[in-house]
Amino acid sequence: MVRERYLRQLDLLKESVLSLGEMSELIFHDSMEAVIDLNVELAKKTLALEPEADKLEEGIEVSIFDLLALQQPMASDLRLVVSALKMAADLRRVVGLSINIAKIPGKIEGGHVKPLIDTKRMADITADMIANSIKAFETRDPELARATAARDEEVDQIFYAVWVELIEMMAKDTSIISKATHLLFLIRYLERIADHCCNICESVVYLTTAERIKLN
Amino acid sequence: MTEAVQNVALPQIKVENLNLWYGEKQALNNISMHIPKNSVTALIGPSGCGKSTFIRCFNRMNDLIKNCRVEGKISIEGKDIYGTGVDVVDLRKRVGMVFQKPNPFPMSIYDNIAYGPRIHGITKKDLDGVVEGALRSAAIWDETSDRLKSPALSLSGGQQQRLCIARTLAVKPEIILFDEPCSALDPISTSRIEELIINLKKDYTIVIVTHNMQQAARISDYTGFFLMGELIEFGQTRQIFQNPMEQSTEDYITGRFG
Repeated sequence: MVRERYLRQLDLLKESVLSLGEMSELIFHDSMEAVIDLNVELAKKTLALEPEADKLEEGIEVSIFDLLALQQPMASDLRLVVSALKMAADLRRVVGLSINIAKIPGKIEGGHVKPLIDTKRMADITADMIANSIKAFETRDPELARATAARDEEVDQIFYAVWVELIEMMAKDTSIISKATHLLFLIRYLERIADHCCNICESVVYLTTAERIKLN
Repeated sequence: MTEAVQNVALPQIKVENLNLWYGEKQALNNISMHIPKNSVTALIGPSGCGKSTFIRCFNRMNDLIKNCRVEGKISIEGKDIYGTGVDVVDLRKRVGMVFQKPNPFPMSIYDNIAYGPRIHGITKKDLDGVVEGALRSAAIWDETSDRLKSPALSLSGGQQQRLCIARTLAVKPEIILFDEPCSALDPISTSRIEELIINLKKDYTIVIVTHNMQQAARISDYTGFFLMGELIEFGQTRQIFQNPMEQSTEDYITGRFG
């Protein structure tokens, strides 16, 4: 085998993207748990993880610039490097939006304005989408990527339903506006995270088939 | 071969079922390829894969090698160049060639360029114009216009190579073959030649053999990958370098060979 150092760098790049993926899964999971239970302690712990995710993303970028400048990757290697760059940015946004979610518990006092049943369902689908988009990258599975992105529609439907419900509640009782607005933001963040998962799935399809497609 | 390239609109060179032997050893194995007009086609592959042998068929340079036998068909503008009654000298005028090492004649810059046109009977009063035109087209006029009578061998390697390109252009070929034209040049001379090749395709059809994969990617429209005398894959350059269809092409261009 030739170019061993180069192949090791490519493997390392893939591992770093998977690490950032794992980190975003963890941060998302804990943020959701913190917001559902309004657990301020867990939210604080979660917020403290952001710099670590930043470091991971920065490391991925640096290694990609090095690979492009020094190794000139071609063919599927080129597709891996380009996909990794885009995926790292999307995963970093998943972390960023999850951090926004983790900031909500500190702002809500005395419980939510309604039980978070649909929102919880939305979060479960989103969690599946994060996990499966990363798995599709790891196993280079374009079918899993397409199937994962298809679930974005369910997320969007719940988003609009809960949106309308919250607006109606606020119209009836203006005293809940402050608390309900945080929930509006929450579902908006979830909807955005699902969109970033779709982007990741697009990167996986490009990586594996060289097709550039829109999945949301 | 990919459909897109097989059915190109204006194939200038059509190769069909080409086989070539050096004595008992088969060097090219059943190659078919359509090379489009006014484009740059790069041929890549490991040493000894047959790519240089292949382009030497286009101007019948292989005729000069003892025991070399060619079967199959190569037509240029629809005419079989291995057919009966083909004037090989005329063919080599139509299909120019530039080699790995610059090889100017040991004479002045002017005479290097004038050599071909003189043989082909150009009149003396037209000669100055032809020399200037060729030197300009090869992007070396500015560096040589005040020293046309100096020996060509006094030029730098990169200038000598452009002079050789000018010498090729002077006899007005239709096709120019480049056999690793930059492998003996520094990066600046290399980029000059690459720019030149890209500009020349307006007027000529260009086929280049190169070991430098980035060079093939930078300058060519189509790329063919050769391996052990076979054309493994031929397609648009962006496809070959982003998404090759064949595993061996992928392995070669990503450096996993060996």
